[in-house]
Amino acid sequence: MANYSEDFTPQEMIVVAGSRTLIDNKVVFAGTGLPMVAITLAQLTHGPGIVPVFEAGAVGPELSRGLPLSVGGSRTTYKANYLLGLNSAFELTQRGFCDFGFIGGAEIDPYGNLNSTMMGKFPENYQKPKTRLPGSGGASDMACSCERTIIIMVHEPRRFAEKINYITSPGYLDGSPNARWRAGLVGQGPYRVITTKALMGFDDETKRMKLIATMPGETVNSVQEATGFKLIIPDDVYEFEPPTVEEVRLIREVIDPQGYFVRKKIKE
Amino acid sequence: MIEWTGLSPDEARQFLANKDKSKRDKRMSLKEAVQKFVKDGDNVGIAGFVNARQPVAIVHEIIRQGRKDLTLSFQSAGLAPEYLAGAMALDESKNSIKRMEFAYFAHEAFGISPLLRYLAENNKVELEDWSNYNMSARFKAASIGLPFIPCRSPLGSDMLQTNRAKVIECPFTGRPIMLLPASHPNVALVHVQEADIYGNCRIQGPLFTCPEIAMASAHTIVTCDRLIEHDDMTRYPNRVSIPFFSVDAVIEVPYGAYPGNSNGLYYFDEKHTAEFRGACEKLRKGDPAPLQDYYDTYIFGVENTTEFINKLPLSQIQYIQKIEPGIRLDAGYTVLG
Repeated sequence: MANYSEDFTPQEMIVVAGSRTLIDNKVVFAGTGLPMVAITLAQLTHGPGIVPVFEAGAVGPELSRGLPLSVGGSRTTYKANYLLGLNSAFELTQRGFCDFGFIGGAEIDPYGNLNSTMMGKFPENYQKPKTRLPGSGGASDMACSCERTIIIMVHEPRRFAEKINYITSPGYLDGSPNARWRAGLVGQGPYRVITTKALMGFDDETKRMKLIATMPGETVNSVQEATGFKLIIPDDVYEFEPPTVEEVRLIREVIDPQGYFVRKKIKE
Repeated sequence: MIEWTGLSPDEARQFLANKDKSKRDKRMSLKEAVQKFVKDGDNVGIAGFVNARQPVAIVHEIIRQGRKDLTLSFQSAGLAPEYLAGAMALDESKNSIKRMEFAYFAHEAFGISPLLRYLAENNKVELEDWSNYNMSARFKAASIGLPFIPCRSPLGSDMLQTNRAKVIECPFTGRPIMLLPASHPNVALVHVQEADIYGNCRIQGPLFTCPEIAMASAHTIVTCDRLIEHDDMTRYPNRVSIPFFSVDAVIEVPYGAYPGNSNGLYYFDEKHTAEFRGACEKLRKGDPAPLQDYYDTYIFGVENTTEFINKLPLSQIQYIQKIEPGIRLDAGYTVLG
């Protein structure tokens, strides 16, 4: 019987779910923020052999010098096994060396396409958007060319939309058979969507998002209500195991004691 | 045919073929370097990555001198475009950005960019969206003398509607493939840890895309945290990341990437970055006074980076050196006296 924590935040729940989704000895291309925390937690628990890759150049470092504030920061380079630059890092994804890409976005649609570019009418208002977001960075390249993608998102209806404003990082595109292959992409596409409310995957046939597990305190209904499109709800939805006391301790005391990414308030 | 926003591949080839490749002392003042190599209307390649090894000192000098109608080309950057955008927001008649070709403009853990929002939402710049790999590959194409480079991402995204990439059927596999036009900036701005007087550069930590940007550009201005003896540089030839003949000006500027991170020497100054970013956010919300005050104090009110650093509490500078976790390269160098 695991020793479950009774005191954890939604952000800590996301990090724990992200960590548990990762598999030991896999190469994980990491976006900035919560993915870095989840990878470190996985390395400290079940996945000491996970090989993190940071787009700025570092491959297989130890993340034991403090949580990186940037994927280009010097904390990503400690004991790296390979260290060149962006081209060499992204070439790894294109060639097939990266098992997972770990990314986030502002908006997602039922097929796992992500927007991190702009809010407003596209293409009409591209040069004068309602809200301008930072842009793709490397997320799009990870979504296109890593073998699978794990997505971390805040769960609210406006962010989970049937149609998103702009496709920055492709998922299953329009969901039609072999859409990714026909577009010229390599890599199989989105694998899991992890939020404060649920763990989700995608239906093999329709490629639409399906519920796998509800987070502690949530129900199938509360998850569906927070989703701006209809989720596929299979019969075997289960409740996700809460964080253990040890996982919460590692996050708070070892990985992100300053609370750079984990304490950040998520707007609900 | 596309419109080349910097040099076309043929112009770049011609330019570099005619360039003076002599191994000469390229030290000059930053003022002189910016005067000589950064012109109104230039396409400026910004090296570094987000807030690491950003060419902050060079950008501050550009702001002091004032340059208009710049095109900025970068993958992911925060501090350098933010400083240029702030100068534009305060006085468009003196400093302005016309166009940006980029993948990401924000500050990661320090937050999104207030001035990207300000520029975009007020339609003050032309935007061309690419991915990080796209911009890196565009510089790489230019650095290896090719007009384009094929790339698999981001096929299927809306970026293809905003940028000049072309999708063709691969002549060998028959599948769709993207072709990205090379990017040849007029001038590259690069900050490194170590350089010699001829312009050979040794980079500590990730190279980002600095070598490709330097090789792709007509001119390259290099600032370095320390100038070292040429003999020390060539003792480790395979650690030379940027060769001297692609560099036009070398300036020793300790803390030239401050308040960003320079691997092995100083970490991010979170306090100062928050102060600057906070002033940018106030401008976006309608109050330019704090940003004007910041620029008057730290950029227009000083001659150079040394004076800028001298305005900061010594303890703050000592702290970012102390917490820098990078492993220093034990290369047995002699700092040039």
